[in-house]
Amino acid sequence: MKTFFSLLLITAFLTSCSVKPEPLNYGKDFCHSCKMTLMDHKFGSEIVTKKGKVYKFDDVNCMIGFCKSGSEPEDNVAHYLIVDFSRPGELIDAKTARYIRSDAVRSPMASQVAAFSPTENLDSRMKEWNGQVMTWDELFNQFQ
Amino acid sequence: MLFFLLSFLITDLAARTIKVGAKENVREIKEAIGLAKTNDTIQVGPGTYREGNIILEKAIVLIGIGFPVLDGEDKYEIFTIHANQVGIHGFQFINTGIASINDLAAIKVLDSKGLWITDNKFKNTFFGIYFANSSQSWIENNELESDAEAEHQIGNGIHLWKCEHITIHNNRVKGHRDGIYFEFVTNSLITNNYSEGNMRYGLHFMFSHNDEYRNNTFINNGAGVAVMYTKGVKMIDNIFKHNWGSSAYGLLLKDIRDSFVSGNRFDQNSVGIFMEGSSRIEFKENTFTANGYAVKLQASCDDNTFVRNNFQANTFDLVTNGSLVLNKIVSNYWDKYEGYDLNHDAVGDVPYRPVSMYGMLVERMPTAVLLWRSFLVFLMDRAEKAMPVITPENLKDDSPSMKPYDFIQKHK
Repeated sequence: MKTFFSLLLITAFLTSCSVKPEPLNYGKDFCHSCKMTLMDHKFGSEIVTKKGKVYKFDDVNCMIGFCKSGSEPEDNVAHYLIVDFSRPGELIDAKTARYIRSDAVRSPMASQVAAFSPTENLDSRMKEWNGQVMTWDELFNQFQ
Repeated sequence: MLFFLLSFLITDLAARTIKVGAKENVREIKEAIGLAKTNDTIQVGPGTYREGNIILEKAIVLIGIGFPVLDGEDKYEIFTIHANQVGIHGFQFINTGIASINDLAAIKVLDSKGLWITDNKFKNTFFGIYFANSSQSWIENNELESDAEAEHQIGNGIHLWKCEHITIHNNRVKGHRDGIYFEFVTNSLITNNYSEGNMRYGLHFMFSHNDEYRNNTFINNGAGVAVMYTKGVKMIDNIFKHNWGSSAYGLLLKDIRDSFVSGNRFDQNSVGIFMEGSSRIEFKENTFTANGYAVKLQASCDDNTFVRNNFQANTFDLVTNGSLVLNKIVSNYWDKYEGYDLNHDAVGDVPYRPVSMYGMLVERMPTAVLLWRSFLVFLMDRAEKAMPVITPENLKDDSPSMKPYDFIQKHK
């Protein structure tokens, strides 16, 4: 029994220390900023700190708001991740992703922003949505 | 509804009624819509109609006799309406398509005014009733039910986006993502609805100012009810019941201003009310019974008033995560109050401090809940009551009521 508990402790210790992105658990996880339960698989984002702490968000403006609140300075952060709109539920690097902002995008917190992998051709999306293509830095300056 | 139909008949005697059914000349709803002129009525007989997506761009009234079934065959949106003064009454909608990009609905209304969507049934529709950019409409006596299992297979029951002056009355919504969803909806009324077992929220409000919801029941929803980023909401005589879960709240208030919460009942929720970044809200004559936490008041809230509420059989009445509290708490009934009333004016003579030290401790260290009801905790709470150290000194009710208030006649 003792060994079982010590094993349990060790595994708990090890898992809590890994700096790995965690998949978003839709329907269960809730946004750190706005407290809403994550539901829409096309949207969502995550911050993983160097200490392995994971913050999950339902929309990109919630993540940017959290970054700007200063509670986790950029130096502490290992990963900024965002869900690829074209591959629902899949997290990609938020800093290299490309973004489209358009009225036609109905995101959970009304950011109107969809994220895409940098390799994806956005022409057909742009034709349909008539939006604006942005980088992470441009997006970062648009939200409070 | 009757008045509405009568007024149609009287004002426009030229209006015709077109009958659709297996034994009529017109067999298809689409054909009838093609034949109809403004102000006509289409009467649809019993049966199942599979006509794909029906687009409606005329001011006409559709009446189902004996609940004719409109089947979306898991592929289509059923009605897409882009016209003023349309009535949809007495249909049964089943099996719309499910799409991750387009929000397919049983009834979608775009840029329109003056609609009546009444007495319909919806079964396994992705979105039930979807209004975008519309106003002055009534959604009444509808029943929506879905048995989807995963959250991406289901949309909201009644979904409103950029609308104003809408009445949502006496509907039942079950098993959707959010039962009733408001985004950028102003000056609207939500009354007597019953929202049960929805995956996320029974009712979800965002950026929706000056709305009122009254006499609704929200029960067993995944995360309760959320009212967010809004000002001027009235929440009156609703029941928030049995919303259990680690992130479930009877009522989640996030960034709310100038609102009024009165006559509501919070029964058996993990957290009755969770408040963050909210100010100038008056909580009056609500009853909190058997909740894990009756009220979780984050330090980011100020200038709120709690007056004449009943707190009964909650594990924790009030917790907060800060030491500075700028909210007013007066004349509530607390069943944990142990003071006395020597002058018999029904008001306790010593103040009541609703925040227990142990509650504060659990708020900071959730695992401490293991020690609940232990002798140690009892001792600490007593010591803290005598000499407050970590509980906010000014968070107290100076005139606690000795008896619970009787609001029963209000809740039938």
